[in-house]
Amino acid sequence: MKRQDIHILSRHSNLSEERIEKLLKDRVYHDKNAWYKFLRIFMMSLGVGLTVSGIVFFFAYNWADLHKFTKIGLSQSILLASTMLAIYPKWNEKIRNVILLGAAVLVGVSFAVFGQIYQTGANAYDFFLAWTLFISLWVWVGNFAPLWLLYLLLINTTVILYAEQIAQGWKEVFICGLLFVINAMVVIFIEKFGRARIPGWFVYTVALGAIGYATMGIVIGIFDEPTDTFIQLLIFALVAYILGMWHGFQTKNGFYLSALPFSIIIMITAWLIKSTEGEAMLLLVSLFIIGSVTLTIKILLNLQKKWKHEA
Amino acid sequence: MKLREDIQAMIQIIPPPDEGSWIFDEESILYAYQKDDDHQSLSVKILSVFGGLMGSLAFLGFLFIAGLYNSGASLLFFGILFIAAAIWLHKKYNKIIMDTLSVAFFIIGFLQVGFGCLQLDLTVDFVCFVCIIVVLVSLTFVQNYMLSFVSVLIIHGSILTLVLSHEAYEFLHLYDVALAGSLMYLSFQEAKIIASKKLLSKLYNPLKTGLLFSFLSVLTLLSKRGFFAVSSEYIWFSSIALIAMICYFIHRLLIFLELRNNKSRIVIYLLTLLALLPTVWSPAITGALLVILLSFMVHHRTGFALGIVFFIYFIALYYYDLDITLLTKSILLCTTGLFFVALYLYTAQKMKTNEEV
Repeated sequence: MKRQDIHILSRHSNLSEERIEKLLKDRVYHDKNAWYKFLRIFMMSLGVGLTVSGIVFFFAYNWADLHKFTKIGLSQSILLASTMLAIYPKWNEKIRNVILLGAAVLVGVSFAVFGQIYQTGANAYDFFLAWTLFISLWVWVGNFAPLWLLYLLLINTTVILYAEQIAQGWKEVFICGLLFVINAMVVIFIEKFGRARIPGWFVYTVALGAIGYATMGIVIGIFDEPTDTFIQLLIFALVAYILGMWHGFQTKNGFYLSALPFSIIIMITAWLIKSTEGEAMLLLVSLFIIGSVTLTIKILLNLQKKWKHEA
Repeated sequence: MKLREDIQAMIQIIPPPDEGSWIFDEESILYAYQKDDDHQSLSVKILSVFGGLMGSLAFLGFLFIAGLYNSGASLLFFGILFIAAAIWLHKKYNKIIMDTLSVAFFIIGFLQVGFGCLQLDLTVDFVCFVCIIVVLVSLTFVQNYMLSFVSVLIIHGSILTLVLSHEAYEFLHLYDVALAGSLMYLSFQEAKIIASKKLLSKLYNPLKTGLLFSFLSVLTLLSKRGFFAVSSEYIWFSSIALIAMICYFIHRLLIFLELRNNKSRIVIYLLTLLALLPTVWSPAITGALLVILLSFMVHHRTGFALGIVFFIYFIALYYYDLDITLLTKSILLCTTGLFFVALYLYTAQKMKTNEEV
């Protein structure tokens, strides 16, 4: 029984306030054990998060009196200590994973300190590349969603910085396309092999990122001169979107069946704006958006109804 | 949507009351599930709002390019027509698929009323009051999820416009406390409000989500120093009020967790105050924490996720803006961080014993 059921039942019955309260407490609200678990993870995350940020700020301060040997030694010792804590067997896995996440951030701090001393620049792409490479094993072993998210963020940042600093010939459409392919591959891999063990919020965040890049790339491509890269991106997006929709139908997942059509609606809107002129065009665009979104919702609702009946 | 058998199975679960019999109207319940617009999946809600918003923005662009915005009277006339059409659409069809269209009509209507009034040289204050009154009147006609949610946001937008146009930034401190208080009331009194079967019970879900968005937006205004020149003179008011609310929440939580030991309770209150002390200059952090706690309590996922995101953002902003050297910031952050780790270590064992009981 969900909150929705209690709300509807209460409206059409003589359920008293006390009984509604009891139903909500028993069936909807979090119980004592959930509170204990939440408080533990919350405190530990806050503790590790703030401490690690403090350490980041400490090295960012770039204390001139500190010898470079001390600086590197200090950052390495903190890293070593936190890694040891992450494998301390007495704590439960979630807590150790939170510490491992902190340690993964500290790897970045170590590289930053190195960059600070040898003047390699704080935002050089190779700094992020090294950070990404050196935490790969931990990410794989820890298999903790927030750690994976940090990893993907680092990969995306590395690509963007590489495009800015080294590959200056890369067009925006190509960069968006590349980031789309990387993130989409991750989503496809998870959906194919490890969906049951990975939390929904992580998959949907990465999928939203991928869809966002595809939408951005194609919209930019529509307004730019047509290039081969744009055609390739269109083909990639088409294949991925068909796969995503098919997967949505198969697994009865409303996320893909709403996010993908909405992205397509934005792309078509961009094309409409580009290809027609005059004030009537915006009226057409307005009607198109409302009509297509309504159609998407109608299809989605019909599907949900069908799935409920099948269940 | 549920089938008759599902509903009967669900009703079986509910134990009969101590006195009298348990009366329910099965047909109405079945009908309610068929037309239920209150509990659509998040994706449908987001699609409706974004679709409606984008559609109305394109329409507004059309009005501007076509030069139709020049006549105040006609804008006002069409605006009211659009709002009426949105309400009529809902009354007539009462279908979720009409949501995008009615939301778009509703927003277009309000934009036209607003621009129309401005064209007629009416003051911003007048426009805001007109919008608030029109929203309140339309809410008595429809209690559909989407329209009610958008209505709450329109009222919030009008209040913010009033505050910003008069540069009465101190009022924001009163306003955020009022929003936090309302959210707290809605969260703690859900059963009471739902049981009342009054207008508020029908508006419960959209009102709560609308207030949540409004509260977080006011906190964002307060969080950035120098943003809209919000004066820091009265910031203590927000901080103290929000800290008091967190303490009240902890009080309720301790009752719920059945922690009766007076010494432990006093220690917990003191530690809470100690932890919240550095946030006196940033009520936004305390506000986001309150959102996290309230949302976790009532199992409101959207609120919980938003609360976490804003909490991290406000903490980052607070330290970024702080006017001290990086070294002092570092010491401050590490001390707070280690305080929480120590708190974890201290309470982990205690909690474990409680948990196992």
